[in-house]
Amino acid sequence: MRGVISWRLPSATALPALLVIFMVTLPVCTALFAGLTVGGGSTWDHIFTNRLLPYTATTIFVLVLSALLMLAFPVPAAWLVSRYEFPGRRFFSWALILPLAMPGYVMAYAWADLAASPGPLQSALRDATGWSARDYWFPNVSSAPGLAFVLASTLFPYVYITARTAFSMQTSTTLDAAKSLGANAWERFWRVGLPVAIPAICGGLCLALMEAAADYGAADFLGVQTLGVGIIRSWNSFGEPNTAARLALALIMIAGAFFFAAQYLQGRGGTQHTGSKWQTPKRGRLSARHSAIATLLCTLLLLICFFAPVSRLIWLSLETRASAADLVPLLRATLILSSLGTGFALIAAFVFTLAAKNDGGLRFGTRLAAAAGYAAPGAVLGLGAVYILRETGQALSASIAILLLLWIYVSRFTSAGVEPLNATLDRLPRNLDNAARSLGSGRLARIWRIDLPLLAPGTFAAALILFVEILKELPATLMLRPTGWDTLAVRAHAYASDERFAQAMLPSLLIVLAGLAPVLLLSWRLSHSERQP
Amino acid sequence: MIKRTPLFAGLSLLIGTVVACSNPTDPDSSEAASPEQRVLTLYSSRHYDSDKTLYELFENETGVDIQVRESGASQLLETLRSEGDQSPADLVIAADAGSLWRFKDAGLTQPLQSEALAAAIPATFRESSGHWFGLARRLRGVAYDPSRWAAEDFAQWGALASEDKAGEICVRASSNIYNLSLMAEVIERLGADAAQSWATAIVGNMARSPQGGDTDQIRAIAAGECSIAIVNHYYWIRLATSASANDQNVAASTAFTVPEFTEGSGSHVNITGVAVTTAADDLALAEEFIAFLLSEQGQSYLTTETKELPLLDTSPAPAGVEQVPAFVASDTPLDVFGENQAEAQRLFDLAGWN
Repeated sequence: MRGVISWRLPSATALPALLVIFMVTLPVCTALFAGLTVGGGSTWDHIFTNRLLPYTATTIFVLVLSALLMLAFPVPAAWLVSRYEFPGRRFFSWALILPLAMPGYVMAYAWADLAASPGPLQSALRDATGWSARDYWFPNVSSAPGLAFVLASTLFPYVYITARTAFSMQTSTTLDAAKSLGANAWERFWRVGLPVAIPAICGGLCLALMEAAADYGAADFLGVQTLGVGIIRSWNSFGEPNTAARLALALIMIAGAFFFAAQYLQGRGGTQHTGSKWQTPKRGRLSARHSAIATLLCTLLLLICFFAPVSRLIWLSLETRASAADLVPLLRATLILSSLGTGFALIAAFVFTLAAKNDGGLRFGTRLAAAAGYAAPGAVLGLGAVYILRETGQALSASIAILLLLWIYVSRFTSAGVEPLNATLDRLPRNLDNAARSLGSGRLARIWRIDLPLLAPGTFAAALILFVEILKELPATLMLRPTGWDTLAVRAHAYASDERFAQAMLPSLLIVLAGLAPVLLLSWRLSHSERQP
Repeated sequence: MIKRTPLFAGLSLLIGTVVACSNPTDPDSSEAASPEQRVLTLYSSRHYDSDKTLYELFENETGVDIQVRESGASQLLETLRSEGDQSPADLVIAADAGSLWRFKDAGLTQPLQSEALAAAIPATFRESSGHWFGLARRLRGVAYDPSRWAAEDFAQWGALASEDKAGEICVRASSNIYNLSLMAEVIERLGADAAQSWATAIVGNMARSPQGGDTDQIRAIAAGECSIAIVNHYYWIRLATSASANDQNVAASTAFTVPEFTEGSGSHVNITGVAVTTAADDLALAEEFIAFLLSEQGQSYLTTETKELPLLDTSPAPAGVEQVPAFVASDTPLDVFGENQAEAQRLFDLAGWN
């Protein structure tokens, strides 16, 4: 990575980037500006004195714990899957991405139901032991650690994907050298494989944590007092959206800290070996005992984070014989909005990636802009959009509502599209660009003939991730969608907020299913590109 | 940027087409309607299929086209505020008097002078100058384990604060509007200091930290995790009338009662209600629609699925609601729920009720 930040007048290709930075940050800046300039009143005094510290402490606790969970299990799983042969390895290598299709709030519905005192796990325990509900301790999902668990189970694929890709790209030379120097398997992971992969893992973790910070649905459902919940509470209970926007600033500052930490770690992390004669090492064999442990780790990860909650959703939908007939328009609205949102966010991500390629300052600026949007809760961005509408004197007509909604999608999710594109770009040799330049190609021609074709694999991954993210989006869609444009997420939330969980299960399940196809494609694509480096 | 120009153009075209031609649920968009077509736009915080059937009935009867935007009450309020006079909304339907007050307080509603509505609706259940009208009633009460307690143990809300309830109470988070409105009336009846002590004592009596919805609290009683829960009546009725045998068992193993604040004060009764927005211009149509919602047919559709109580005792109650014990409604003006709402949240926060 080039860390040099140079300041000069923006070039012609920088202008679109600056324009997109403006577009991406405008909603969040508007909301924050309104929050800071319009008086907070007595509500803000109360929240500042009594609630800000607990909200912030809970949020940081949840984020740190979920970060630890996402590192402790998925990273070793990624190492095992990319380095060793064991029963089920091929299946696990792609299936471990599946939880990405689960929105955090759906995971919360499913696990809260599974692990609650009337739920199947505790009921079975009571039946087996004859205990009453107060005779034993059981892990409580409706708690800060429970929220960390729920968020980690839906977001760990970001860490897993980046870790797996990084491990697969490592050349055998360093690892062979370590082996010949007497390093055992554990030391090769801990002292060679892992340090080299840290920048990539940090990128994935940073993305996952910003997404976790912006969560509202899961935290609200589980009753955990995070900043995300505080934001909605100050809006709903106190009727003060400006106080909500002020709290959002605290959230964005926390996410900003993660962003800078990731930048720092990525900057000082090891470099990838880019010699032309590198080869992917052959996967090692594991002893029977170690094979069993590896299979068990991956099985448990997948069972807890995907198959158990999805099975519960299916069971509940079947039990109540919910009808799927009126879900077709929802599915259609969901797919149209997600596709359009993906298209626009992808364009923004392209502009960012290309403009940042040769300009350290822009690279930093675009990443920061994308991160600010990504860390902002959807409800705050929606609020920003409504303020902008108010300032410009526009009515929220159907077409304007859709445009605003697409704008918010871009603002919120561009970051998720930039990361895969940057990852692809980082892997490309610089000398290609220099060669083209020496042959007299202009900048636009180089973008058209070199950058875009080379970015194609990253584009595919970016588009799929964006699609899945937008598919799951709830708060902004809830606020801005025009009449008749209910999405699956909106309907699932409407049922759940009326406590009609049985009816909420089918749309929730459909969100997972609609997200599954792109996730599988993504997974296939990643495995494919790793086999043919 | 060679690549992007056609892409931009293509996408803009696509959006234009999609927005213009494809309204996913309603193929005949309002532009297609004839100029004299009367349109009534509702902003509703309710999400019931029976409401849609009810609106269709009105459409068929009158030829009026009804457009509905469903969202949370706070989001609808911000949307309305943004749209101002240009808002397409004619009516706002929201659960809880506290929400309706918020719309009125923001200057988004207008008084509807209607002798017919004033005559039909008891004074407690409408705003005195016509800013909002009640449509259905909802009770916040106590569900309990009948093997541990009797209804007399919860004659008054203060009983939940007594020491013998330690470790027995399950309740949802304080930010929920049902809890806020209940607390708002406690503040009105007993004063802020007593209200805060009451909330603090309940926090001390909780079996677990606040979590889940009202239904979850009732299930937790059946599972034995606690023996007392603060819930709205219709969640208990929905379990009792559910198709699932499991749910019926949960309801059968619990009982429901409606405490008063002080002896003879009456009980906490909230409403689902409707308000006319400042942007509405066809007030006669608005009045006609509200009257339709209060008709026997309207009341039946509004409450059959939700299991709320009809606003008028003369309307037949939905199946299952007969299990709700008799009660006398408190005479606290319902605007108090809104006026005290922020104070209620502040006191809950201070009491440590998450």
